[in-house]
Amino acid sequence: MNENLFASFITPTLMGLPVIILIVAMPNIFIPSSNRLLTNRVLTLQRWLIQLILKQMMAMHNNKGRSWSLMLISLIIFIGSTNLLGLSPHTFTPTTQLSMNLGMAIPLWAGAVILGFRHKTKSSLAHFLPQGTPVPLIPMLIIIETISLFIQPMALAVRLTANITAGHLLIHLIGGATLALLSISVPTALVTLIILILLTILEFAVALIQAYVFTLLVSLYLHDNA
Amino acid sequence: MVGEESDAQFQFTGIKKYFNISYTLMGRMNYVLAIYGGIALMVLYFKLRSKKTPAVKATQMGLYISDFIC
Repeated sequence: MNENLFASFITPTLMGLPVIILIVAMPNIFIPSSNRLLTNRVLTLQRWLIQLILKQMMAMHNNKGRSWSLMLISLIIFIGSTNLLGLSPHTFTPTTQLSMNLGMAIPLWAGAVILGFRHKTKSSLAHFLPQGTPVPLIPMLIIIETISLFIQPMALAVRLTANITAGHLLIHLIGGATLALLSISVPTALVTLIILILLTILEFAVALIQAYVFTLLVSLYLHDNA
Repeated sequence: MVGEESDAQFQFTGIKKYFNISYTLMGRMNYVLAIYGGIALMVLYFKLRSKKTPAVKATQMGLYISDFIC
């Protein structure tokens, strides 16, 4: 049971070759594209959804920040679709791997910070000292602000990893408990099944919310620096 | 921010121009750089202070080798 619990988090291989690249590229199959102006229903719906997200997320940015629109939309669609596909049984979810999430978080955060230091050096450095700070607190606050800056990509990656991993583990555990209770007490198994159904609905929401939170935070870091 | 833009109307002279802590952009930036410089100097000082003289190092190396043989 214990081994089976963590087996779904092992990076899958096929005849010794890693298939992670195929798995990461797979959500792309479900997102069609077209070069036509008037598209079919699926593409129109997809376009509407992208515009809805774009309008809400990029409204606060200036022109320089809006040049990141393609990157951020790709990010939210990738994370959202990967998380949702991972809710299918016996699938592998790449976003449960910390390495993958760090690989997404660190370059995006670093890009935003370096952009800010390059184009608005004075403002970026002054950011470490909030306005109106009492004098005795200044050295400590600068150190704290520096640490909180470097914690940002770690928090970004760990938040996504922990949420998705925890959700999958819970589904495994409660599903296993439901099966085990079926032979012991059917009413208890039914209650556990209801909990499992509610948890699965929650996990669907968490999958989309985590994608939104990740992208929104990257967008906020960009807004502070662009 | 409005606060930072309106700082231009205040004519700070002398050290207050560069270190008007936590109200002007320049003051805040200079304070941050001063703190970072101070930390770097402290780290450098402790690193250099912990370097032993060659004679002491040789004595300690000799003691270590003799312990190893014994």
